[in-house]
Amino acid sequence: MTMDATLSGHLQELRRGTVVVASLTVLREPGYGYSLLETLSAAGFEVEANTLYPLLRRLEAQGLLTSSWNTDEARPRKFYRTTEQGDAIAAALRGEWARLDKAVGDLDTPTGTTAGSEQ
Amino acid sequence: MNSLIDRYVFTVLRRVPEQQRSDIEQELRTSIDDAVDARVGSGEAPDTAVEQALLELGDPDRLADGYAGRPRYLIGPEFYQIWRRMLVMLLSTVLPVVVTVAAVIRVLDQATIGEVIGTVVGTALTVGAHMVFWVTLIFALLDRAGVAGPQLRRKPWSPDDLPHYEAGFLTPANTAAAVVWPVLLIAGLVLQQFGFTEAPVLDPANWSFWWPYLIGVLILEALYPVWLLRRGAWTHTATAVNAALAVLFAAPVIWLAATGRFFNPEWIASLNWGATDPLDWLTGVVIVITVLAAIWDVVEVGVRAERARRGLATPVPGTGREFTSPLS
Repeated sequence: MTMDATLSGHLQELRRGTVVVASLTVLREPGYGYSLLETLSAAGFEVEANTLYPLLRRLEAQGLLTSSWNTDEARPRKFYRTTEQGDAIAAALRGEWARLDKAVGDLDTPTGTTAGSEQ
Repeated sequence: MNSLIDRYVFTVLRRVPEQQRSDIEQELRTSIDDAVDARVGSGEAPDTAVEQALLELGDPDRLADGYAGRPRYLIGPEFYQIWRRMLVMLLSTVLPVVVTVAAVIRVLDQATIGEVIGTVVGTALTVGAHMVFWVTLIFALLDRAGVAGPQLRRKPWSPDDLPHYEAGFLTPANTAAAVVWPVLLIAGLVLQQFGFTEAPVLDPANWSFWWPYLIGVLILEALYPVWLLRRGAWTHTATAVNAALAVLFAAPVIWLAATGRFFNPEWIASLNWGATDPLDWLTGVVIVITVLAAIWDVVEVGVRAERARRGLATPVPGTGREFTSPLS
């Protein structure tokens, strides 16, 4: 396995699950499939349409999103919106993400460990 | 141009539950149209825009599996372990027994050597394929029915489940396996009188004493492992009892075969093996198998008992070390 393939495999492992946090966070303002896809790619999330669209329906089935059809425009669109429960879960996930980020940062700071061992 | 989108959407819908189809269709069409519009807006030709938008969505089968929440594997990690264990058990234990029984029946049916080989190969392939197919089908269905793998286990794994490596350690499973052979032999002895062939294979005259006697010895052979398990220790007595049982069984069989009173003369007469004399040949086979089996049995149990009694170590291949644990 080349270095690139190894890296992309690990990156994929690391990114798995971030789309859920991002979607639940973005959809506090109602949005539809394609708009969410645009928002996420603009924000730097590498998400594919064929992953995102089924994911939205799965989150809806879990009660983390609700949906309603908006037929005001020429093109009827299904708008998703984060539920209270979804918001709570997204907050918990963001908390965990921040904790991990800090933990990884602490491990990566060599001064912290030397200072700790000298004390 | 639209026909491409239609074909894509229908391909996805075909593999999605019916009650979700209209909802998914509308949403998917809107999403595709949005993507196409965005591409056209940034200056792409409409035809290319449709193609690129669909290309971005990827394989419709994969998208449909995503919508339907279908796993993209046959047997998931929940069931893989138990599926594999069951296949190994069936193919390594049950299949050889079935093939052997089929071959023996063919031999008794006066088949030629070629026909027997054909039966062995054919049975092994057919029965093996059936085993693999049905076990895999059942586990694939269980996986899709959402049964949790751990529900199939009586209790979660604990350190008590670790296998034992002490020489001569007996588990109830070992004992059960050791009981099965004598029971099968008794069944074969009784059934050959009525089933399989027109004339019984073994001399019916011996029902006056020797066959009931052998059945009695075999019952003792079946009780021996149970007795050993309850004793829980390999002693000189265990070795001696095993050797005595082996002699009690083998000696009469060899004597009967050597004096020509083992096989039913009527059945021998019905055999037509051309130049070879069936009686000579079969007598030789019976004597050789009986002697070898008896020697193997006595030596194997003797060595095992001696190792266990002395608490000898079990070598662990590849480590250069040995597993030592004295038997209590």
